[in-house]
Amino acid sequence: MPKNKRSVTLSIVAASTLIGAMALTGCGGTPTASIGKTTDGILRIPREDTATFTSNFNPFSPTALPMTDQAVFEPLLIVNPMTGKAVPWLGKSWTVDPDGKGLTFTLQSNVKWSDGQPMTAADVVSTFTLAKKIQGGYTYLSNVTAVDPTTVRFEFNKAYSPGLYEIGAQVIVPEHIWSKVSDPAKFTNSDPVGTGPYTKVSHFQSQSYELDKNPNYWQPQKQQINGIEMLAFAGNSGANLAFENGNVDWSDQFIPSIQKSYVDKDPAHRKFWYPTTGGTIQWQLNTTKAPFDDVNVRKALSMAVDRNQVTSLGMSGYTHPADCTGLTDGYASWKDSSIVNSCDWTKLNVDKANKMLDAAGYPRGADGIRTLKSGKPFAFSISVGSSSSDWLSVAQVIAKNMQAIGVQLTVNSPDWSQVVDGYSKGTFDSGIVWTNDATTPYEFYRGEMSQDSVVPVGTSANENYHRFGDPQATNLLHQMVATSDQATQKNIVNELQSRFNATAPVIPLFPSPVWGAYSEQNFTGWPTAADPYATLSARSSTTTLVLTSLKPVK
Amino acid sequence: MRFLLRRLGFYLIAFWACITLNFFLPRLMPGDPVSRMFAQVQNQMRPDQIAALRQLFGLTNKPLWQQYLDYIGNIFRGDMGISLSRFPTPVSSVISSEIGWTLLLGATSLIIAVVLGNLLGILAAWRRGKFLDSVFPPLLVFVGSFPYFWLAMAALYLFGIVLGWFPLNHAFTDGVEPSFSFSYVADVANHLVLPALTIVLVSIGGWMLGMRNTMIATTAEDYITMARAKGLRSGRIMFHYAARNAMLPSITSFGMSLGFVVGGALLTETVFAYPGIGYQLLNSVQGLDYPLTQGIFLTITTAVLAANFLVDIIYVRLDPRVRVS
Repeated sequence: MPKNKRSVTLSIVAASTLIGAMALTGCGGTPTASIGKTTDGILRIPREDTATFTSNFNPFSPTALPMTDQAVFEPLLIVNPMTGKAVPWLGKSWTVDPDGKGLTFTLQSNVKWSDGQPMTAADVVSTFTLAKKIQGGYTYLSNVTAVDPTTVRFEFNKAYSPGLYEIGAQVIVPEHIWSKVSDPAKFTNSDPVGTGPYTKVSHFQSQSYELDKNPNYWQPQKQQINGIEMLAFAGNSGANLAFENGNVDWSDQFIPSIQKSYVDKDPAHRKFWYPTTGGTIQWQLNTTKAPFDDVNVRKALSMAVDRNQVTSLGMSGYTHPADCTGLTDGYASWKDSSIVNSCDWTKLNVDKANKMLDAAGYPRGADGIRTLKSGKPFAFSISVGSSSSDWLSVAQVIAKNMQAIGVQLTVNSPDWSQVVDGYSKGTFDSGIVWTNDATTPYEFYRGEMSQDSVVPVGTSANENYHRFGDPQATNLLHQMVATSDQATQKNIVNELQSRFNATAPVIPLFPSPVWGAYSEQNFTGWPTAADPYATLSARSSTTTLVLTSLKPVK
Repeated sequence: MRFLLRRLGFYLIAFWACITLNFFLPRLMPGDPVSRMFAQVQNQMRPDQIAALRQLFGLTNKPLWQQYLDYIGNIFRGDMGISLSRFPTPVSSVISSEIGWTLLLGATSLIIAVVLGNLLGILAAWRRGKFLDSVFPPLLVFVGSFPYFWLAMAALYLFGIVLGWFPLNHAFTDGVEPSFSFSYVADVANHLVLPALTIVLVSIGGWMLGMRNTMIATTAEDYITMARAKGLRSGRIMFHYAARNAMLPSITSFGMSLGFVVGGALLTETVFAYPGIGYQLLNSVQGLDYPLTQGIFLTITTAVLAANFLVDIIYVRLDPRVRVS
């Protein structure tokens, strides 16, 4: 008898395990042509980084809800990173002073706030007063004045050419509302008044909320969708599941093997597009520590990295190797092709790397490991946050690559907070890190090799963690800030690229892809590689362009 | 009474130790909330905004002991401060907006697991070696030893996607207005089934085994033989004589578990995108949101201590020996 009983138990267990395995491999799911079809014209978007929403439509708050800066409020201009061109938005046109010490914006004349009041230059002036007070920054801005209801004048206290894009990206808030708020920094603005296409908050609940049409929008012909619904998810898996199941229309979080898990279930409607215009991802070496202060060592290490392996194994082939300008594809128009064509230290060349290290005085011992000048073995660590599984495999590929040149690299992967703390204080050996990303390459190169962004070890750094400063590059960056002439800026950026190529302040790995996927089941008009009017990011300034271009499927 | 007072004194000291740890532990972690936030959004924030943010969050350079005194004072005023990761929402409203769902999910699954588990344990021990006793304990322990994450995912795929019996995520249908109507309650219940079921599945085995083992020990006692000799009905002996005495360890664990319910069910919340305290706590720790972390730990501490005190009181009623000693 007991024997029989056990076999019953076992078969129950086996059956349930089998069912579970079947479900996981998706045997039961049959693709149908109408998954996720809705009729209400509401665009559904998941957010994977918050389990619940707390009402906060304050654009000056670092914790503002998604779509605050995209659907409720609008900026003066929107820069499309795919083309590098600025799209006029609330600002109809602008002129930059020849000396770079000021600029003038002419506003659209027909813009109304969602409560029906007209938007004027006074709103812009008060917005910048608030932004300076609450968020800080804009230190170059000495005075903002309303010349007439549609003209705003910005005066700088020094020539500062990147100012146009920083000012242009600031979203504008209504003076008649915000002047009555006693503490604007702590204002949650739960019933927002904005100029954006979707300003009316409805059905606000802890895990979802809807933004409905602004009845007074200034471009009514671009308000084709009926509204936006944001859904909260605690982590990628839940958001991906909702997306794969057709519950949402647009998703911009990372989805592993998207072709198989998403597109193949309905190839007629489901698409993804991962342009590599995000910031460059790099391997930074702490240049305050020997031997990383030696440019030959940095270049030799870089030559030993197999970037094809890094991008194919670590990044699932969604990106491609970076070149020796360090610039991402978002700066394609700035790249100097003669430098790109002559790149050597960002290409795999193990022989040359070995020779360079031999010549630089790091001989290989009997065990195959090189010795530092201090007599210690050439061994150090590469830091990366444990939650970034893709970057973690990038680090592992690099660590394996280093064996070929007799360098012992160990992967150190605690929590990101601990990694960043090491970066910030300058106590790390090396690590995988993002880069500054703005409209022009200025911020990027400033964070890579300006002496102005270097702080001593022990003091908290927020950029240039590798603590490298080049006097020539610093000088070039100062010149770039002081000119607003396109051709001069281009020449300066060419010279910056050549300095980057010569000094190798960091080891660029690959430009990061901008994730984005969508279904055409309910909406069409998405940006694509053929029509790159924006990226598919749902949390950047170009999102406004997507929201005002989508059309519902009848 | 002396017993209860002594316990109360113990709980007060435990409470003080807990809130002190609450204060110092998050501050021992490397980094500060602003650079953490900066690192999380990577290149979306300009470095020159950091100083302003620090000021906005009220991160002062006051000496630690002074911050500690302020903190203790604020706790007794019931002021838990403003959450940094959900700025400018007060910690109390962040917690109160989540705690309802946590209690609903935690209490439902705990009560089902305890009642069902104990009942199965009692029956299994009473009918030792029979079908129930030989099939259920190994089966439930087997299921319970699955990684919870895997089990929850499998249940979600099977019942949510393949069969489509239950919704995939969230506590109720998106866009539905909460109300006290039947349709809303039914909607909430429908969304609760899978998350609660998976928790019950992994926890019930422990309850059943624990109950079964103490129950077996109890049935060997003389007073059970005596009751049988008196000719009492089997059901009466089982519940009133054996189970009542075998229940004491279960009550203790129930009290403990009841307190920990408040901490939320992190994995359940992640898999089923269910609202609750667990994910909030993880987020606040990762973002070094001191006020929110402290607030949640304070809530958990209070709940655990209160539940334990409650168990002490129940013990006095259930077990005469405690009253005597």
